[in-house]
Amino acid sequence: MADRRRVNGPGSSTLPPVYDDGELNAASRRQRAPDAIRPLCETKPIPTICSYMSYHENLETKTLRLDLKTGVTPSASGSAYLEIEPREGEHGSGMKLTCTVHGPRSLPRSAPFSPYMVLSTHVKFAPFATKQRRGYLRDSSEKDLSTHLETALRGALIADRWPKSGVDIVVTIIEGESTRQDAVERRVEEWDVMNVLGGCITVASAAIADAGIDCVDTVSGGVAALVASKDGNDASIVLDPVALEHESVMAACCVAYLPNRDEVTNLWFKGQLPLSASYNHQSLVSRAVQASRGTHGLISASLSEAIGSTQN
Amino acid sequence: MANQQTLLSPAELAYLHTSLSLSPPIRPDGRTSKQFRPLTAETGILPGTNGSARVCLADGTEAIVGVKAEIEKTVDLLGGEHYQEYVKSASGAGGGDAEEDRRQARGEWLEMTVEIPGLRDDDAGTVFLAELLREALLADGEFAKKLWINRRFHWRLYLDIILISPPLSYPLPLLSLTTHLALLSTRLPRLKSEGDEDPMFDDDWEASPFLYPRQGAAAGSRPPITLLVVAVGDSILFDPSKEELAVADSALAVSLCEVRTQKADESMEVDSGRELRLVSMRTVDPPSRLTPPGVPSTGNLAASGTFDPSSQKKQQQQRVEEFPQEGVWKAPLGGTRFAVLDSIIQAVLEKGGVADEVLDGLEGVDLS
Repeated sequence: MADRRRVNGPGSSTLPPVYDDGELNAASRRQRAPDAIRPLCETKPIPTICSYMSYHENLETKTLRLDLKTGVTPSASGSAYLEIEPREGEHGSGMKLTCTVHGPRSLPRSAPFSPYMVLSTHVKFAPFATKQRRGYLRDSSEKDLSTHLETALRGALIADRWPKSGVDIVVTIIEGESTRQDAVERRVEEWDVMNVLGGCITVASAAIADAGIDCVDTVSGGVAALVASKDGNDASIVLDPVALEHESVMAACCVAYLPNRDEVTNLWFKGQLPLSASYNHQSLVSRAVQASRGTHGLISASLSEAIGSTQN
Repeated sequence: MANQQTLLSPAELAYLHTSLSLSPPIRPDGRTSKQFRPLTAETGILPGTNGSARVCLADGTEAIVGVKAEIEKTVDLLGGEHYQEYVKSASGAGGGDAEEDRRQARGEWLEMTVEIPGLRDDDAGTVFLAELLREALLADGEFAKKLWINRRFHWRLYLDIILISPPLSYPLPLLSLTTHLALLSTRLPRLKSEGDEDPMFDDDWEASPFLYPRQGAAAGSRPPITLLVVAVGDSILFDPSKEELAVADSALAVSLCEVRTQKADESMEVDSGRELRLVSMRTVDPPSRLTPPGVPSTGNLAASGTFDPSSQKKQQQQRVEEFPQEGVWKAPLGGTRFAVLDSIIQAVLEKGGVADEVLDGLEGVDLS
């Protein structure tokens, strides 16, 4: 029997409105050179309470109370915010990520002894980050990303300098790269995950540097993809791909790379390479390494800038 | 993977690492570097499923995979009919409607769960395993198309992987081979209806076609297999056991699928026409990073019995230099050079190599 006491919603699920906002014409597609990575708009360590204190003590303004009063500043030992420039075209949205590092702090009493620092990583999309709402609980793709991030960072950290301690690294994706067109061109989401991982690695590395945890090198993430051109015959490798800018993505590769040691801590490749031998996995990985070298230059520049500003 | 504790002392780890870095490597169980552990396999063990398989490795680990299929209405997230029209008008020429629709096949039609005793099913390691296997299966884009019935309906495939035994080693190759066999034995009822009608199926199970057809030109791609390969020193080891993983410098999971070329059908010799294609790879965090470090006996008070300040100083120096000392275990630091990873990939894709051997072995399994 139908419920007549309440005003019920429609019986079936409703659909969000989708607006047809213009053709994805060729002009809005790809304007970058294939081997150009998008500039990072901003990558800066968020001033934490500690760095505020040192900053103001140096200036001898003694406005500590004011800063502490705000309380909105996370009491993390290191944090970073990364914003990647939106793709060319009018209705793009870039990627915005924050990362906080908590620790190294002592493990709880119940935890078993560890001669190393225990690293735990959490990657979470904000509920509003993508077209499809993400729930409060982490879904499988988020857990998968956090495992990738853990592998990428574990190689870089010198973990034996902090026995019996733990570090939590939390990355929040505030805004993903999806726009409305994503929903129209269905298959791009799976490729955007690679970009998200690259961003996560870069932002986590900056936050670790801010927290002052010893690493063998600053690890940085880079993505390269093999894309088909409009007629579907020519394939080319692009760095830092945005899936929407291309007709189709055939294969993609994300690496976490230590530039000074020339080592890869995490490698993730998926897709199907064409049978012709002109492009193989080696070229794709080496291009991804090239992308991460570019990212490394950008984050080291912004890190040294941040150090300069706190020391003055 | 990281939370698998190995009960090996630093001295044992150093010994293992040295013997595995030799050329040829000496493995604890006497295998050669490219030898798989022997396994027994059977398919069609679960009558209530569309396809199932069981694989038992020689070390006693055992996995069961069941595949179940359900019909589901294709929900168009963009508002049904209007969207279809929009696609047609946007594509202009509109040639090959079926092709256009087939492209709408989605990866989410496959659901995969992995259950490992002793681990929670939402544990990050378990999720990582499931995503790895799922990604390899969907990478070529062919699999989702097999689940397409017509524009309004599709199959939803549930692939449930259960490890029966406790995980004695990293279960990735075992689960992958079991999944491969289960998918090869999967059959879906034969479709009787045509076009976009509500689907009607033949109730004769004998007439049901295989999800992956055996013979003919249609027998294109096969389900992928995933191999776990580790690098220890200069040697590359396939199918590592738990002890070998505990000293690995790096571990890589490589998924590849076999593509049968047309040439093979003509010459009637299937094995020669096999072509291996890389579909996905991921580095796996080796548990060796969490092994306890060794202390050289020069710096060990308990061993020498006396406190010698000079040796203490020497040890401090060594620690600064981080110079690896022969026979003293130290967990690997940093990443892997790409040359090492590349040699792993080459070894996997090598013609007549391990992957061929494994696929030949799996071909011998009677599919019921």
